[in-house]
Amino acid sequence: MEIINNYILLATKFIFLLGTLIYFIFALIVVKQTTTLSRSVYDKFNTILIIFSYAHLAFSFFLILLTFIIL
Amino acid sequence: MPRAKDLDTVAPDDIINSTPKSPLPPRPIKKLQNKKIKHLHQPSNEKSHSTQFRQNIYGILGKTKHPFSSFLVKPKVFNFRERDTDEEIILVLRRHWITNLTWILITISMIIGPILLTTVPLLESFPPAYQFISIIFWYLITFIYSFEQLLSWYFNVYIITDERVIDIDFNNLLSKNFSEAKISMIQDVTSTIIGVSQTFFNFGNIQIQTAAEVPEITFEKVPNPEIIIKVLGQLRQEEELENIEGRVK
Repeated sequence: MEIINNYILLATKFIFLLGTLIYFIFALIVVKQTTTLSRSVYDKFNTILIIFSYAHLAFSFFLILLTFIIL
Repeated sequence: MPRAKDLDTVAPDDIINSTPKSPLPPRPIKKLQNKKIKHLHQPSNEKSHSTQFRQNIYGILGKTKHPFSSFLVKPKVFNFRERDTDEEIILVLRRHWITNLTWILITISMIIGPILLTTVPLLESFPPAYQFISIIFWYLITFIYSFEQLLSWYFNVYIITDERVIDIDFNNLLSKNFSEAKISMIQDVTSTIIGVSQTFFNFGNIQIQTAAEVPEITFEKVPNPEIIIKVLGQLRQEEELENIEGRVK
């Protein structure tokens, strides 16, 4: 029973890692999207939006590290 | 036989004296350098017409209340890539702020979601580390959902300049739709306000039918549709006057 539980946890860990990696790629796309849009249309809050997208990218990278370390 | 002096009866081989002698002494030519010359086509009149139209337009539009408004009158900071050098941005429109209410409510419910999970023991079968990662992941998804919605609202803009109307749509990273129509090409403008929220908050769709390549440009869920129609009417009048006066850019 314990072996099965270990396998389930291992599979879950793998799913978590894969999920966070995919999410990191998505965060990269969001940064690219925000910078591209900001070049096309410029308004007052573009800089703030770009900062938010980079912060989100940093958090998603932090999540990958956290998944590696904690799980 | 004496030759006739009448010009109608001059023979082709007759020598004509082109400078007939005047009995008066020649007058000196006056210098016109410092004198104002009046033209039939006065540029000052054209300018006054143009400024008058522009004053009317800005009188109708009023002023922008706050920078996050979806109705930006003559924005100082705003710019777009396809803008011509001497093009004046008169109005920038986004969807009415109330259209954001749906995703704001969804975001709020997503934020309070994990708090509700304490009452429903869904994650309790997992170790605490997994629970912690799941919650962080959930909040990141919540953030990105609201951020994408905000980007969609913020970058989908409708622009009215002194020369054209522009619709810039960004659906995602890979799709950007830019459509424009010259003011002179506009044939018909109609607005539709449907439903309780649109009537209450005064927003709706504006269909601009054109004679350009893009047959119709639609401004979706924009505030104050009747004001926009008035402004477009003024701009069309100004354009027609420019056409008559022959000073089209």
